[in-house]
Amino acid sequence: MAARMKLKLKTVFVLYFMVSLMGLIYALMQLGQHCDCAEHDLPKDRAISRLQEELYRLQGQIRQLEKAKQPEKKQPPKSSLSTIFVITPTYARLVQKAELTRLSQTFLHVPQLHWILVEDSPRKTPLVSNFLMKSGLTYTHLNVPTAKERKLQEGDPSWLKPRGVEQRNEGLRWLREDRKTEPGDDGQQGVVYFADDDNTYSLQLFEEMRSTRRVSVWPVGLVGGMKFESPVVEGGKVVRFHTGWRPSRPFPMDMAGFAVSLRLVLANPDACFDGEAPMGFLESSLLKGLVTVDELEPKADNCTKVLVWHTRTEKPKMKREEALQVQGLGSDPAVEV
Amino acid sequence: VNKLWCQKLQFIFFFSSVADTIGGRSDSRALKESSSLQSRDIVHVVRTEYIYSRPPPWSQSLPTLHIITPTYSRPVQKAELTRLANTLLHVSNLHWIVVEDSQRRTTLVSHFLQEKGLNYTHLNILTPLTYKSRGDGRNPRVPRGTLQRNLALRWLRETFPLNYTQPGVVYFADDDNTYSLQLFEEMRSTKKVSVWPVAFVGGLRYESPKINALGKVYGWKTVFDPHRPFAIDMAGFAVNLGLILSKPQAYFKLRGVKGGYQESSLLKELVTLSELEPKASNCTEVLVWHTRTEKPVLVNEGKKGFTDSKVEI
Repeated sequence: MAARMKLKLKTVFVLYFMVSLMGLIYALMQLGQHCDCAEHDLPKDRAISRLQEELYRLQGQIRQLEKAKQPEKKQPPKSSLSTIFVITPTYARLVQKAELTRLSQTFLHVPQLHWILVEDSPRKTPLVSNFLMKSGLTYTHLNVPTAKERKLQEGDPSWLKPRGVEQRNEGLRWLREDRKTEPGDDGQQGVVYFADDDNTYSLQLFEEMRSTRRVSVWPVGLVGGMKFESPVVEGGKVVRFHTGWRPSRPFPMDMAGFAVSLRLVLANPDACFDGEAPMGFLESSLLKGLVTVDELEPKADNCTKVLVWHTRTEKPKMKREEALQVQGLGSDPAVEV
Repeated sequence: VNKLWCQKLQFIFFFSSVADTIGGRSDSRALKESSSLQSRDIVHVVRTEYIYSRPPPWSQSLPTLHIITPTYSRPVQKAELTRLANTLLHVSNLHWIVVEDSQRRTTLVSHFLQEKGLNYTHLNILTPLTYKSRGDGRNPRVPRGTLQRNLALRWLRETFPLNYTQPGVVYFADDDNTYSLQLFEEMRSTKKVSVWPVAFVGGLRYESPKINALGKVYGWKTVFDPHRPFAIDMAGFAVNLGLILSKPQAYFKLRGVKGGYQESSLLKELVTLSELEPKASNCTEVLVWHTRTEKPVLVNEGKKGFTDSKVEI
């Protein structure tokens, strides 16, 4: 009986030993084999691989964005001329397209000119967008609507409320914002000029203003009820102003009669036009924060030549159009004028 | 195994933080880009071969455009000529014929034309006062610029021989209108007389010829006397030079012309309605605007003139 028991125990041990040995051999053989990970895919592993994927994707995106930014910087040829930033407010009316067309034809002749066109509108209009695209100019298209209480109503005389204030200020704001992304001295080089869309500009004017160090000034034709208004220059400095209207203003000049260096605009980030300023004081509201009369730089041959005219375009007579529209026979509105 | 687990956990945390920051940065940058892209829409145009403020080089293959502009002295004259010249400086093969309404060629216009660099011819003829005054019913006032335009036509006929082979087109461009550059290219292919819409004339947004399905002019879309032979504005048509030369009797009629019939007085000598060539996409685009400049109010000049008269404006 004991011998049989002993035999049984021995057998059990031997069997156990064999089984575990085989198991070990099996395990050892599996060591070099490719494992089917799906079975072993734990949630945390999945999380890691997902995050890894996203990391690669985002890195790729960054590379793309940087590439997209590069050409913008490389494209404009390095010119020794400082850029003239022209800020033009504009608003929708019948002659708008015509005015912008002939203005752009003048600007196309001026090298290193960047046109900042600001619409008085809650939205960018297709007319202006399409126009700018075809213009061939370097431009920035902005828009900001004038507050209702500041807007001229139909029948108001043009001098009743100052026009273009919000739009010019928006131009300045954008310029200051944009220049932040171009640090370094080069980004600070430039001249800012406020050009209304109905004035007439000679090409020489832009060459005169390019050398502006702080604020440069020149005569303006057909303004202030006179043939021209002008700073009076003695000994190379502006001593007073020749104007027929309120010569006691700090800067009795028209918007078209001065340009400000970009450096000065950036150095005074709060300087902007004050829409509440009394009539005729709009220019002064900007300039008094930037420069003194003594510091003004006279251009145009010591302010003896007229290189810009304050022309105004008549409002076209639409009596027949209005009569037709009442009958429902107005001209095709799909044809852009 | 515990160490491996710890490592895995660390790895996860690291990646999530990195991904967040990158994602966040990228997102905010993307946002900044899109919002500032809206305002940061700087469209840079590279124009490496543009020669500024000089007309384009003369081309042997393009027809010459002879642009006839009558002009007269008034405060806005130099401004008008300046911006018109800035427009014309873009147009190839352009010959500007400026005709002053004056006894003599003025210094202002002479110097101006010399400086601008355009190809030009400077003429002058004075409109007698009798023509300018408001005529009576039998002799209505001669429209402004008639004598000047006729002088230019005569100059063309005296300068170019009848058998002149070089193609050319004649266009009457007043100094206060606005012209798109596309207009000049449209008119270059004129074989006889080409026509197109004009904005702000006849009390409408624009006046235009009526085009039928065959692409031919059959009428005029105007309110003011649409039954005129050619109910079109001076800025709305151009004439082939050869046609001008071949019909030496065709001029703008001076006297006895009803208001609005001046263009017809010339065109009926040159062409019939069916021969007209519509341009500007079959007369559906407006490429020229009949703008008028306000007369500046010079109240502060006073009787003697406040400003220095030596300064030219």
